[in-house]
Amino acid sequence: MDIRVLTSADIPHVQSTNITNLPENYFLKYYLYHALSWPQLSWVAVDVSRPKKTPYDPPKIVGYVLAKMEEEPVNGIQHGHITSLSVMRTHRRLGLADKLMRQSQRAMVEVYGAQYVSLHVRMSNIAALRLYRDTLGFAVEKVEAKYYADGEDAYSMKMDLKFLREHIEAEEEYADEGQEVGDVGKNEEKKKDGEEGKKKRKVKLGRGLGVGELVERNESKA
Amino acid sequence: MAPQPAPQPLASKERSLFTQVVKNYENKQYKKGLKAADQILRKNPDHGDTIAMKALIINSQGNTDEAFALAKIALKNSMKSHVCWHVYGLLYRSAKNFEEAIKAYKFALKLEPESQQIQKDLALLQMQMRDYQGYVQSRRAILQQRTSWRQNWTALAIAQHLAGDLVNAERTLTTFEDTLKGVPPKTDIEHAEAVLYKNAIIAEMGDIGRALEHLDAAAKNNPDRTSVMELRAKYLLTLGRNEEAAKAYQALLARNPEYRAYFEGLEAALGLDRSDIKAMKDLYTDYASQNPRGDAARRIPLDFLEGDDFREAADHYLQHMLRKGIPSTFANIKALYANTAKKDTILGLVDSYASDGPTPMVNGSAEKQANGDAELFGPSVRYFLAQHYNYYLSRDLKRAMKYVDELLDLAPKSVDYHMTKARIWKHYGNAQKAAETMEKARTLDDRDRYINTKSAKYHLRNNDNGAAIKNMSLFTRNEAPGGPLGDLHDMQCIWYITEDGESYVRQGKLGLALKRFASISSIFDIWQEDQFDFHSFSLRKGQIRAYVDMIRWEDHLRDHPFFSRAAIAAAQVYVKLYDRPDLAHGSLSNGVNGAKMDSAERKKAEKKARKEREKQEKAEAERKDAKKPAAVDQNGEPKKEDKDPNGELLLQTPEPLLEAMKYVNHLLENSPKNIHAQQLAFEVFIRRRKFLLALRTLIASHTISPSDPTLHEQIFRFQHSLSRLSEPLPPKTMEVINAEFNDLLPASTGLDKHNDDFLQKHHDSAPHVQACLKVRQMLDPSSSEKAQQDLIRTLALESCSLEDAVRGLEILEEWKPEPKYKNDYIAAAHERWPEASAFVSKKQD
Repeated sequence: MDIRVLTSADIPHVQSTNITNLPENYFLKYYLYHALSWPQLSWVAVDVSRPKKTPYDPPKIVGYVLAKMEEEPVNGIQHGHITSLSVMRTHRRLGLADKLMRQSQRAMVEVYGAQYVSLHVRMSNIAALRLYRDTLGFAVEKVEAKYYADGEDAYSMKMDLKFLREHIEAEEEYADEGQEVGDVGKNEEKKKDGEEGKKKRKVKLGRGLGVGELVERNESKA
Repeated sequence: MAPQPAPQPLASKERSLFTQVVKNYENKQYKKGLKAADQILRKNPDHGDTIAMKALIINSQGNTDEAFALAKIALKNSMKSHVCWHVYGLLYRSAKNFEEAIKAYKFALKLEPESQQIQKDLALLQMQMRDYQGYVQSRRAILQQRTSWRQNWTALAIAQHLAGDLVNAERTLTTFEDTLKGVPPKTDIEHAEAVLYKNAIIAEMGDIGRALEHLDAAAKNNPDRTSVMELRAKYLLTLGRNEEAAKAYQALLARNPEYRAYFEGLEAALGLDRSDIKAMKDLYTDYASQNPRGDAARRIPLDFLEGDDFREAADHYLQHMLRKGIPSTFANIKALYANTAKKDTILGLVDSYASDGPTPMVNGSAEKQANGDAELFGPSVRYFLAQHYNYYLSRDLKRAMKYVDELLDLAPKSVDYHMTKARIWKHYGNAQKAAETMEKARTLDDRDRYINTKSAKYHLRNNDNGAAIKNMSLFTRNEAPGGPLGDLHDMQCIWYITEDGESYVRQGKLGLALKRFASISSIFDIWQEDQFDFHSFSLRKGQIRAYVDMIRWEDHLRDHPFFSRAAIAAAQVYVKLYDRPDLAHGSLSNGVNGAKMDSAERKKAEKKARKEREKQEKAEAERKDAKKPAAVDQNGEPKKEDKDPNGELLLQTPEPLLEAMKYVNHLLENSPKNIHAQQLAFEVFIRRRKFLLALRTLIASHTISPSDPTLHEQIFRFQHSLSRLSEPLPPKTMEVINAEFNDLLPASTGLDKHNDDFLQKHHDSAPHVQACLKVRQMLDPSSSEKAQQDLIRTLALESCSLEDAVRGLEILEEWKPEPKYKNDYIAAAHERWPEASAFVSKKQD
């Protein structure tokens, strides 16, 4: 499985992977909005070994992370947000989610100076909670009541990216000598970031995310 | 020339009311806007601009026809008003008629050359329509109005770039850069991206040396490090600066060791050849030891190693994965099966694990894991074997079933094992048992959408559309208009809509099938329109490379297999409707294939269909009564009501072949190298008697795969049609055909001989034999009996697949065989595929 950044051409299969695996689904345009706003943050896991049947067969996507930066960060603190992450059941336990997430987080810090990354998970989704908390190092920050369209509550989770920032700085110092640096993202270095008591905001999600509002209304007037 | 109406000045009160109308429209206060407009019109009933604004508002409320009628009145009253022309353009734009919209905007612009708004609207449409020359002009005009905005310079560069004028695109970007005082800060993303965009343009010109220089000079601190490093590595390699290139790829691999392109770059930079086993092994061993959790460095060598080297590496890899109990091991390995020797080696290894257990680990460090390992190892080995024997290159379904049943004895609640078992049933050809087993798997974890998806798919394969949508509804927003299915449309769930349509084709419910395939086509229309907003959005965001990448993808959007699969299926249905118009008549068409029903049955079915219809109408009426808020699409615009939910109107088309052409045109334009697309196009053209176009598809198919069985048959059908023309073709046409067709079917060889030679050459392939038999049947209908016997014989061919056998039965049925032969065929097929429902149910009637 290759891990590489998502491009527009991947989107139909990413969308298909999403609606196969998860209850929160989005229009293709919402994926485009991610890919064209923060092209470095969304990543895909690709099964490169599948033989093509026609020259038009696009790469087979078996997992993806769809990520963004918060557009209007409170107090101006830059941070990333994971909109969606999933891996096909047939390709689980290969560590793909972890690998996808790490690449995305690094780009959040490197390109956009993110301080931390947040995400939401259904309270009933124990498997996802475990993945984020135990494997990926997120911590539950709070519960957001009735976050989902069907009325379910969400855990709002967060992960400080300070360790990555330090790592990248160290790497930059070594870069000139061409030295390699060890594995990114040791779990023990992560700690909960509880400083900024953020105000609760109204968050739209899932299909409620009308793309028309994401992309500025057409400015035409007569 | 007709006298122009005088300009229509308003009194000051009305003037301010007009401003109010415009504001109301912009703020979506449609009722207020209409009220104010009517107030103006009471005093100035012919005021064109006001009527135009009214049209615009009415259009936003969803009344397109009325809006256009009003806009025409407005234009008649004020031919010289740019407002009226602009509104006319906006209406066309909202109706997606971009060409007419461009014309209207151009009129408006002529009347009001200074209007930035009209200029901008025009530019967006030119981009959408890929009128690059026009777009360059518009962007230049916009730039001249405001040269201080970086966006305007970038936009002109994009226009020039896409129009193919790379030199000026670069120049435009540089001109703006020269106005900058000092280097913008690192956080200026727009600047950082513009630098890399310029770099991409330089590289596209082919001057890689200069691209590298520019990158090193201008992008040293660029925040998009991955891009800079990738470009640098690529340039160095292209320039033959291999030592530096190797370092660059090593640095990339340190960041992401799971990307084959980096390894390939490194191999090339190191001058490694995949036959230099020792060096290659060292390279990957090194990376594997650096990345204890990495997969690529362990998996890639399995692609290039052979013999004992392969055995050793595969052994290591498999044990590593199976010890950890990774259920996706087989998925990660199966591509190697294309190589028979590797397939055999893998089976040998895994068989030995099954009998001997794992090799003790060399390094004792994993002691703690040992117990866990042993527990995981046995089942993972069996699971691997179950999948191995279920895979088409190593299929032995009995063994596969044995292994999966053993696993299920140990873990009766495993979703994965049930899922595999369902797949085994599918390969047996038993859609019903497959669906039942997958349904069982679903109930074991009913919150997991993946398994829910699979079970719905298997229900569709079993033609149980009701059970499928019921499962899907557990995860859809069911209050959406149209219920769960409506929500799946909204969410652009391609796979479901396609499989649903294919299922209706199998059931002969052709209207519903066409309906589904048309939905796929309309989703692609939406995807094409989706780019529109990004023509302006991306300029504001400044992420230009991603935007250009999107534009280039949209240019070939419909070559996606999601599209071609549905398009081919739809066109095939239309061909079928052309051949058998009776399939379209009576609303029975959406029930049973009417041919065999007697009149009592027919009446009963008609009554049932009527009741069904009434029920639906009632439900629809109730829905409307409930006064739910009007449904809107993804852009918040009101949705049009679907007046043909069952595809009856699609089915009743008087011109099925012209309907088919809508799909064929897309297919030939976007997927010309897909042989199925060419072959489908042939079927349409030959029926339309478009011989040159039909011939062109044959030539294209021949280039793709010269010995394709369907092509063979189509060549003969082409010849057959030509030989029985009632009137000769024009000499010019015949000249072309004679010149080209001889390559496909040499006139010097007799027809029978050509067919026999082809048969001889491919005698062990069922599809080829079937094609030859069809040709023989066509050349000599009196040989039918022999052809039927020969068709039965194809079932004994070793390579004959279940799909081949099912297709063979369809061919036989087209020949209207004697019952004896049909029974023989089914009996022989049943013996070979005892579980296949295709040969069980039919045996009974």
